[in-house]
Amino acid sequence: MGVIEFKNVNKVFGPRATGFRALDDINLEIRDKEFVAIVGPSGCGKTTCLRMVAGFEDATDGVVSVGGTPIKRPGPDRAVVFQQFALFPWKSVYDNIDLGLRNLNVSRADREARIDAILDLMNLKQYAKHFPHQLSGGMQQRVAIARAYVLDPDVLLMDEPFGALDAQTRVVMQEELVRLARKNPRTVLFITHAVEEAVYLADRVAIMTRAPGRIKEVLDVATIRNAENWDSYDKIEDVMDLESFVHLRTHIWRSLREEKAAQHA
Amino acid sequence: MSNHESVYINCEIGEEFTVPRRISIGFATILIVCALWYAATTGLGLIAPGRFPSPTETWSALIHISGRGYGGGDLAMHVYNSLRLVVMGFIFAIATGVPLGLLMGWSRRAEALINPIFLIIRPIPPLAWIPLAILWLGLGDAAKIMVIWFSAFVPSVINTYAGVRNIDRPVLEAAYMLGMPKIRFITEVLIPGASPMIFTGLRLSLQASWTTLVAAELVGAFYGLGRVLNVAQQDLYPGMILVGMIAVAILGWATTRLLGMAEMRALRWNTAALAAKG
Repeated sequence: MGVIEFKNVNKVFGPRATGFRALDDINLEIRDKEFVAIVGPSGCGKTTCLRMVAGFEDATDGVVSVGGTPIKRPGPDRAVVFQQFALFPWKSVYDNIDLGLRNLNVSRADREARIDAILDLMNLKQYAKHFPHQLSGGMQQRVAIARAYVLDPDVLLMDEPFGALDAQTRVVMQEELVRLARKNPRTVLFITHAVEEAVYLADRVAIMTRAPGRIKEVLDVATIRNAENWDSYDKIEDVMDLESFVHLRTHIWRSLREEKAAQHA
Repeated sequence: MSNHESVYINCEIGEEFTVPRRISIGFATILIVCALWYAATTGLGLIAPGRFPSPTETWSALIHISGRGYGGGDLAMHVYNSLRLVVMGFIFAIATGVPLGLLMGWSRRAEALINPIFLIIRPIPPLAWIPLAILWLGLGDAAKIMVIWFSAFVPSVINTYAGVRNIDRPVLEAAYMLGMPKIRFITEVLIPGASPMIFTGLRLSLQASWTTLVAAELVGAFYGLGRVLNVAQQDLYPGMILVGMIAVAILGWATTRLLGMAEMRALRWNTAALAAKG
């Protein structure tokens, strides 16, 4: 099951006493199939949170667990979408997506069916034989999302996945991700510093303080989204004009600005 | 030996020459050099025949070694022996060097263990091993293969190692995330990821193999192009010396070219990626 739990998590890079304190007493539970975004100033440790769930970093204290099991190492049950796409440049789009399924020993027929379905869903069908460098940044990130989604993971970890894309592509990808997440809900941990993106995508938004990172506030967006029926709008700009959206966004902005002010004080 | 690098690096801005145009310019250059050569030696007599051979002398030396033979065998036999030793030494060197480079690039422990030995061995010029190799293994093939191995091993290890270290960290993390079995990780991530640098190492190894072989044969051999050069020097036979040199050059060029073709094939994704970046 896809419940992610941070329990009293500290992270120090380097020696415990003198090293860099990145995270301070993080407690957060992400429910199964819930979409949680973490926002915070750069260097606040939000990516470190994601990397601990992925199994790339250990917690100095406390426990990070998925489905009740403490995390020891990376694995395909926790698929990661990286900011820099991190596709295998020597493999075609198809082979990039196929690799994870092969590792899971999925039968050939099954793999073909699943890859076809995801290529279709992500509008990648005609690019199956292309190498990553032949695609635009937005297309490459689509492939990376497809590579993660095709594994049918308990948990999807997205580390500023749209941070490297231009503004227009970014909006298209955000809309597609919403479509994908509604169609096939997963537990998602989404890291971003773009406030609108967090409010638009997430069920809950966690706001972090600057280093050592703590969770300052967790906002429930889903209740407002459902009450105001955001999902009935197709376009992101229509949602972003709604008063309820603006209100949430402004709230988060203020909260982050306090952090910025504290940094300069 | 060859201007292979120019395939990748083309700094001059402007129109690219077409291939036939390039070839015809190349031929013209060679013809001009030959004409100047003829003029300087035979036509004008600027260079004494004892110092540098004329085209005619070189041609007759070529006929000599191809027909009657010279220095213990005919040209084909010398070429065969030199080529055989280079290929064996080279393959032996890369078959050990590339895996060691992968291991060092991959495991910090292996690197910590092996690197100190490397730091000691690396500054020793490969040719300095020749006397020891002859002392141990005599004048036959084994000594030459050993010396070639010493010289060609180092570039393939170092470049493979650097190639592994150059793989983007997120790409490696993506591989861990996908739960790769070890063998598949090596064959489908580590080796392709490092392959642009591995090929650089192979090219350097191949060049080192030729250099070392000729040197080793100069010092002592029964057959081979280095042997031809050595005997011709003792016989004061400049035409034959030039034939030996040209033969080595052609073989070196041809083998490098073969390797380059293999590289183009194996790295299609990369050359295209470099072109896409501009």
